Amino acid sequence: MAIFPLSSNFEGDFVIQLVVVDDASTMDEVAATCAVHSVNRRVAPQPGKVMRVRRHSTGEVYPRDMQVKSAGLLPTETIDVIFSDI
Amino acid sequence: MSKLASNEYYDLVRTTNWTPRYVDEAELFPEMMSGARGIPAEAWETFDEPYKVTYSDYVATQREKDAGAYSVKAALERANYIDSADPGWVSTLQAHYGALAVAEFAAATAEARMARFSRAPGNRNMATFGMLDEMRHGQIQLFFPHEHTKRSRQWDWAHKAMHTNEWAAVAARHMFDDMMFTRDSVSVAIMLTFAFETGFTNMQFLGLAADAAEAGDHTFASLISSIQTDESRHAQQGGPVLKILIENGKKDEAQKMIDVIFWRAWKLFSVLTGPILDYYTPLEHRKQSFKEFMQEWIIGQFERQLNDLGLDLPWYWDEFVRALDETHHGMHMGVWFWRPTVWWNPAAGASPEEREWLESKYPGWNATFGRCWDVITENLQKGREELTLPETLPTICNMCNLPVVGTPGDGWNVKDYQLVHEGRLYHFGSEVDRWCFEQDPARYQGHMSVVDRFLAGEIQPQNLAGALLYMSLNPGEIGVDAHNYAWAGVGKQSHAAE
Ligand SMILES: [Fe+2]
Ligand SMILES: [Fe+2]
Repeated sequence: MAIFPLSSNFEGDFVIQLVVVDDASTMDEVAATCAVHSVNRRVAPQPGKVMRVRRHSTGEVYPRDMQVKSAGLLPTETIDVIFSDI
Repeated sequence: MSKLASNEYYDLVRTTNWTPRYVDEAELFPEMMSGARGIPAEAWETFDEPYKVTYSDYVATQREKDAGAYSVKAALERANYIDSADPGWVSTLQAHYGALAVAEFAAATAEARMARFSRAPGNRNMATFGMLDEMRHGQIQLFFPHEHTKRSRQWDWAHKAMHTNEWAAVAARHMFDDMMFTRDSVSVAIMLTFAFETGFTNMQFLGLAADAAEAGDHTFASLISSIQTDESRHAQQGGPVLKILIENGKKDEAQKMIDVIFWRAWKLFSVLTGPILDYYTPLEHRKQSFKEFMQEWIIGQFERQLNDLGLDLPWYWDEFVRALDETHHGMHMGVWFWRPTVWWNPAAGASPEEREWLESKYPGWNATFGRCWDVITENLQKGREELTLPETLPTICNMCNLPVVGTPGDGWNVKDYQLVHEGRLYHFGSEVDRWCFEQDPARYQGHMSVVDRFLAGEIQPQNLAGALLYMSLNPGEIGVDAHNYAWAGVGKQSHAAE
């Protein structure tokens, strides 16, 4: 358990933002943390969709239950959070 | 007594190179300060400034300029224009003064570097006047806002901003330090006077002077027009220096300096001038859009000047032209959303009428930036002000030190240009910002952005209150919405900072 800073690039938002998560968090939990700073602030919610995390530099979509520490991300590295049907 | 006309002696009296006897040339003009780049003294002596002025003429003219600007101020002081001015215009003035007054005073140091260390006698002569110009610009722009400090503490930021860790001040200093304080005399002539002053100060001062006249702020209009007459004179030092570099086989080096600093200046003006012209200035007083000003002053004039000198457009020109529809809209939304962290009260500029204007000037605005403003507006209408305020920091570009922004909504394209250099991950808001870093990593790599400082624990406590403390923003200085959310069609709301 250790804190892990990431940069959140949220679909539909205009800016990338700092989020601090736990390295044991799953990608679903990361997406939820990112959403706090974008959804209902500058991005309208999309009911029925799931929020998926992908690596910004490669576009690789991470499994929803993958933990941050297993994703090979650098501290403060940028992730995209996108609305997805699955 | 008869007096020679100045054109009969000017060339002779400014031929001030001599052969030193007590030290050698390299001691008199250290390369680090002079930057002669191996170009011989005779070549530098060909420097020929297009605008020639003698000291006595200079002093007489400057005295008249000062007398003009100060008398307009004195005559209008009793009218208390500021008390009835639109709050968006007040914010414009406060942002302008804080970002520029002390920086202009500092520019005297850059001019002094040329005045002492340039190998070109004509450059040394002109820079002496430039140095005096910048002292005047510092003093006059500290004096004019001073009378308003009784109105609010935000006016005091004309003096205070550059001495704080407020993020916009950090960004401005990073750029000014790069351009003015840490370069040799030749680089200063090219980066400060040619790239920055010819292009961008022209736009800030002429663009704002036009809006000021429209807004009825004759004091400010006469002040900045007065300053601009000096800028357009001393900006002419860069051209002759570039000519000498190009004639002596240094075109590539000159081109790179222009390419780096032009982009850096663009980013700074995208956060300073962009929001002012397109969002803060009351709709009825907007002369042209920011993009139109950029097209006229930068695309038109700067492009022609580069051409005349035999230089190329910066390699990223297409991207620059594209970004005219994007960057400053993002910077504006960032400044507004993080409004507690600036020393002025940002005007949202997003009422239905203003949005119509934005859509006409920037087709597609409603479906992109407008989407975010839709959510913000609805939150304000439903009394959810807390959702219109930040609970974290934006990711900051390690070159421009401004937020990493892009187009939201239907055109979502926000991108972070990352780079791992010597084990550290850097973030950049554009390919060009990253390119600037890569041209000289040793120059930039040690700098910590505000986010880097936050993560290193330098900002305590690690929350908004700690950040405001770190930025020296006290109650009464912290930015709030300039119009109390009237633009969103809501009545009086309580201010977040109260
Ligand atoms: Fe100046
Ligand atoms: Fe200047």
